[in-house]
Amino acid sequence: MVNQAVERLLPRVQKPARYTGGEQNSVVKDAKQVKLRYAFCFPDSYEIGMSHLGMKILYSLVNAREDAWCERVFAPWVDMEKEMRKNHVPLFALESGDALDKFDLIGFTLQYELSYSNVLNMLDLGNIPLRSKERTSLTPIVVGGGPCACNPEPLADFFDIFLPGEGEEVTNELIDLLIEHKEKGSTKLEFLREAAKIEGVYVPAFYDVSYHENGTIASVTAKETAPARVKKRIISDLDSVFYPDKFVVPFVDIVHDRAVAEVFRGCIRGCRFCQAGFIYRPIREKKSETVNRQAKCLCDSTGYDEVSLCSLSTSDYSGVEQLIPDMLSWAVPEKINVSLPSLRVDNFSEELMEELKKVRKSGLTFAPEAGTQRLRDAINKNVTEEEVLRTSAQAFRGGWTAVKLYFMMGLPTETLDDIAGIAELAQKVVNEFYKNPDKPKGKGVTVSVSVASFVPKPFTPFQWEPQDTMEQLVEKQKHLLENVHTHKIQVSWHQSQTSFLEGVFARGDRKLCDVIESAWRKGCKFDGWDEFFLFDKWMEAFRECGVEPSFYANRRRDFDEILPWDHMDYGIRKEFLMEENTKAHESVTTPNCRQKCSACGAAKLNGGHCDAK
Amino acid sequence: MQNDVRIFFTKTGTAKYISHLDLMRCMSRAFRRAQIPLWFTEGYNPHLFMTFARPLSLGQESLCECVDVRLTGEMTFKEMQNRLNDALVPGITVVSVAKPVHKPTEIAFADYEIRLFSETPELAFSALQSGLSKSSICVTKKAKQGRRKIDKEMDIKPNIASWQVSKTENGVMLFVRLTAGDQNNINPALLLSAVLNDANIEIDHTEILKKRVLLENGESFS
Repeated sequence: MVNQAVERLLPRVQKPARYTGGEQNSVVKDAKQVKLRYAFCFPDSYEIGMSHLGMKILYSLVNAREDAWCERVFAPWVDMEKEMRKNHVPLFALESGDALDKFDLIGFTLQYELSYSNVLNMLDLGNIPLRSKERTSLTPIVVGGGPCACNPEPLADFFDIFLPGEGEEVTNELIDLLIEHKEKGSTKLEFLREAAKIEGVYVPAFYDVSYHENGTIASVTAKETAPARVKKRIISDLDSVFYPDKFVVPFVDIVHDRAVAEVFRGCIRGCRFCQAGFIYRPIREKKSETVNRQAKCLCDSTGYDEVSLCSLSTSDYSGVEQLIPDMLSWAVPEKINVSLPSLRVDNFSEELMEELKKVRKSGLTFAPEAGTQRLRDAINKNVTEEEVLRTSAQAFRGGWTAVKLYFMMGLPTETLDDIAGIAELAQKVVNEFYKNPDKPKGKGVTVSVSVASFVPKPFTPFQWEPQDTMEQLVEKQKHLLENVHTHKIQVSWHQSQTSFLEGVFARGDRKLCDVIESAWRKGCKFDGWDEFFLFDKWMEAFRECGVEPSFYANRRRDFDEILPWDHMDYGIRKEFLMEENTKAHESVTTPNCRQKCSACGAAKLNGGHCDAK
Repeated sequence: MQNDVRIFFTKTGTAKYISHLDLMRCMSRAFRRAQIPLWFTEGYNPHLFMTFARPLSLGQESLCECVDVRLTGEMTFKEMQNRLNDALVPGITVVSVAKPVHKPTEIAFADYEIRLFSETPELAFSALQSGLSKSSICVTKKAKQGRRKIDKEMDIKPNIASWQVSKTENGVMLFVRLTAGDQNNINPALLLSAVLNDANIEIDHTEILKKRVLLENGESFS
């Protein structure tokens, strides 16, 4: 329901349907009839935020309760923000149109580091004091979750609570507790003391951090009721855990505009650069009947003509052979497209490809990640050149004429030969196309090579590694271009400046809180969007706060250094990560979890149970 | 075609902020949710066959939008209407489902009810009166010449079939009948800006509601 003050602004902004609410399946309740109002905030545009599965799950989960109402809040696009600030219209939630300061619980999902400035901007637009200590009353309580909550230290001063891990259970426990304390008339401190006792709740104010003279951490001390280490929450049984039977169906075209069925959490692969591959462990699968039922139900309730399977590596799903035919049995007659992102080249079968072609032919994307076998071994991306070429040839025979290849640049142990290897591999894929005797007439091949800059992340074996400097990355980009000799290969990459900033925040500590606020005051926001990224303002903010960004991004850490996220317990043993790091430098691979358990330690979070074993 | 069906619907309230492209997606999803057996194109990428008579400008409301589809199974028009209304979003309501009578190319006029909210209704009233009474109303219209986009100067006075202005509590109400259809469609917003451009008056905001679509002989398009 759009409020009148907002509606006055709509004729002057682009895509006004982002701000009106009223979409199919959005939930409107009577604010007077609920005990708690929850604003679920996504610190990016509507189109990005509405594509996020986690928000859909938690939105429906909270709204399934009678005593609480969850609403959606997104970062207004810059044109809308300008109008809102000019006309003193505070940030509002889409369902009620009410301002953010009417809410008891304000939850941000922290999906990527470059959205941090948007978190501050949204709090400010909603007239919420930025720092936790400036918010003295019981409500609103500002909480943060999502993958970046594994090292939330750069945001520690702004949040009251972080929720590391999976949110389905802990969200309800936190809501119960807050309702109880609202009714009791508790103080914020009284509430936080109780909250910190819940497993998976991190109250940053209850930890004192002291530093050595060289800037590294000397100690992190828990006080009040806080545990020494905060254990992330996981859901044990994915078949019985809440999954929405409805998605809000947006009017505007969002990034992932389709039904999504989650098939498993965690990943068996252990690619050493991949944070998701470690922080979502242990692997837990849904039964194929569950996935099939949930997918069908979502298609019925949304009217979507596309459903996508979601996981970190869909072809590793042990029920895939059962699931795909089951889904196609109803999807094909209803003209619903089943899409499978995250397929791996090594187990992508011809039969599977044939099945998929029944519905619609989409693009093919492979992620070899590195250009040479040596480097692929070092990062434990167990994909061989032969597999990439064989699958490409298979795809070309199947009629595909475009292939996307994803790589990374700046990986630990990488040399210029590895960079040249990217161009060579792409060339070999081009050659495969021309080897095909039945290639379509008059059609060329396009091999898109997309190169991301590697950013070392917490809870990976590379968490101690220095990130390549921006100069190193630019040199490598140049070297790659020099080695590409055909226009059939199209190369694109990420800006090295944004990767640098991402690297700083990924492994940052609490000293960065001031930097983030300072940069935001200088106008930084939407840092993930090239057109709004103000690198010079960020550097200015670092200088003014006396913080050296390369200390976080480009420095090699010792194994015995206390890392800013060491008091977060993601189940993974630190010794395991050290072993993996050592093996990386020796270019030795680790078998995937189904071949052999590497005793990473994550299963202990699930009573010793892991679906890979 | 034998099984063609014409659906008339409203697009009011916040639904006026749904763009035409978004509306097409919104409708096709509603058809799916309502489980109405409809014909899909049989090309490489089959999609729901759906024809809108005329796109409505973003921000304008309407009581008489229409879309044509083709039924492939048995379903009464009443049942279709009920199912669709259960599946549709607030602001979009199906008012009738019937066999198409006229071709969309027969559309000649549309009636609009326009409300201007102003602190100075008197001034707005006289500005509209004098503006609409002029012998010519020149506008710059975006047009296409082949592939090229050009600005075309034209006098839209002949496109105004009739008009009437009246004062309201907080502004002015204008009723106007403009030529409509493939050839001579005039957007009422264009007329308003042409008329009000010269007059120096403050308009707080404007509401435009399309009320009827008519044929050359004045009958309703159905």
